[in-house]
Amino acid sequence: MFRVIAENINVMSKSIGPAMKNREKKPIQDLVAKLVANGSDLLDVNLGPARKAGDELMKWVVETVQEVTDLPLYLDTSNPLAIEAGLKVHKGKAVINSISARPERMDALFPLAKEYNSGAVALVLGTEGIPRDSNERAANAAMLMAQAGEFEIAVEDVWIDPIVVPVSSQQQQVASCTEFIAMLGDMAPGYSNTCGLSNVSNGSPDNLRPLLNQCYLLMLRHAGLTGAILDGLDTDILGIAKGKRPDLEKIVFDVMDGKEVDMGSLKEEELKFAKTTKMLLGQTLYSDSWLDL
Amino acid sequence: MGIDIPKRSYSGAIRTITVGKGEKSFAVGGETAYPFYTFEGEFPNAPRFGLNILDIEPEGWAESLLEVYGDVVKDPAAWAKKCVDDFGADIIQISLQGTDPNDKNLSAEHAVEVVKAVAAAIDVPLSVWGTANIEKDTEVLRAVAEAMDGKRLCIGPVQEANHRQIGAAALAYKHIAVASSPIDINLAKQLNVLLGNLGVTDENILIDPTVGGLGYGLEYSYSVMERARMAALSQQDDRLQFPLYCNLGVEVWKTKESKLPDHENNLGEAKPRGILMEAVTATSLLAAGGDIMIMRHPEAMKLAKQLSKEMLAS
Repeated sequence: MFRVIAENINVMSKSIGPAMKNREKKPIQDLVAKLVANGSDLLDVNLGPARKAGDELMKWVVETVQEVTDLPLYLDTSNPLAIEAGLKVHKGKAVINSISARPERMDALFPLAKEYNSGAVALVLGTEGIPRDSNERAANAAMLMAQAGEFEIAVEDVWIDPIVVPVSSQQQQVASCTEFIAMLGDMAPGYSNTCGLSNVSNGSPDNLRPLLNQCYLLMLRHAGLTGAILDGLDTDILGIAKGKRPDLEKIVFDVMDGKEVDMGSLKEEELKFAKTTKMLLGQTLYSDSWLDL
Repeated sequence: MGIDIPKRSYSGAIRTITVGKGEKSFAVGGETAYPFYTFEGEFPNAPRFGLNILDIEPEGWAESLLEVYGDVVKDPAAWAKKCVDDFGADIIQISLQGTDPNDKNLSAEHAVEVVKAVAAAIDVPLSVWGTANIEKDTEVLRAVAEAMDGKRLCIGPVQEANHRQIGAAALAYKHIAVASSPIDINLAKQLNVLLGNLGVTDENILIDPTVGGLGYGLEYSYSVMERARMAALSQQDDRLQFPLYCNLGVEVWKTKESKLPDHENNLGEAKPRGILMEAVTATSLLAAGGDIMIMRHPEAMKLAKQLSKEMLAS
């Protein structure tokens, strides 16, 4: 079962940011109601760096959200104090978002995950930055898995995040990310996974971003992805996540599996997905006009 | 016992582009294998070497450049003629530095006048290069394109932000658009797509991948050019199957190291240092697939040309 983590409760949002600042519950709780109705499985609470009084804000947001839903929350901030404040008041199993393969993050956050019996996103970011290929991703993942094991965190509570990168500037890395997800079945059976999907379309033309996001989601699902942070108000991508577009799945999966796809016989939408899949696989070189070629 | 050296097979080829008009016009491109892999494919047209002149008297140029050209740097037409007659340049690139709006800001009329004089003085193809200022280049290069109707000049840099205007001028007056992108293979491809959409046909496009000189990003340019060739020849990427135009002289000779006096910072003699920096840059870019090399020092050009010739002969 694919799990959607809704990304919308975000301090950067034009409506939600001010509501957080002014401690207005209604806009946040209204949003939560919509996200729940749309079938979100978890909600990401993104406070950004939250340097100033991040702990108070996290406590308030977690309580505000959980007044209207039982869904578990991703506690998403780089401030460990704010994470702990959220863990203290969270009902059910929270997820720390995220712990990267850097000593200072692992040392600060795995003990919290153990103490509060929470899950954690294991982000394959290492001390040398974004990994350069699938093997470096795997090495960082192995380090995180070992650390999580030390702290006796159950494997299903460790959500491996492969780091999705923009195809417009790092096309080869997109293929590495896909490859890495495909490795997880063997190297991390039983573990959960997630990703910040929409980063794949960062820097691409706005009108083409939904197609890139949707297509890459199908591709990662085929490779073994079982969770993603998504726009919980975008019913198109939610439908794709929940397997409601078998027609598009077939096209994308066939292209990925190297099956002969008769491009001439495809409908317009299917053709777009076929071309985009080839491009995201690295079979054709990215340019903003990839659909026109 | 014989040894069979494994050979790669290629699925694409670089287009052949004819530059200039008349007896001294030449073709570049046509390669069907990676640079200098003569054992794997055809190289019907050797790389071409040009020298770079300015529309105004140069300021702040290295001593060895001023020395080799002498007084002609005060007269673009005489300068161009010397480059052809004395140094054997296959093509002259005139950089319209005087039109830079942040400096002398000379007019489009000035540019047209100088370009006409230079064209009249030489029989080899001419490339006209702007200052990379979007608005000013649009104005100046359009005027030049019109005044030189039908001469098949190379005109650049054609950038994404002014490709419509300059591309349309190249199209209307039958010149070659040199599509310039900032050391990025995806943007290079995209600009070629856009020029195609505008109606610029495939025999009228060259790629300027933007090159860095030795020690100043050369390796990034190398990678982008290498990948462009791989996409063109092995992935049949139609939008990258164009010859590569390398405007390297300006990059090498603007570096600090090319101008430092003799023995400063333990860098040896100035003259051979600058020449070798340019020759080495050219060598690397040739190995990455460069088809037209625009250089500044005749000695450096001679070295690079000799190497290219011997590589293709072997």
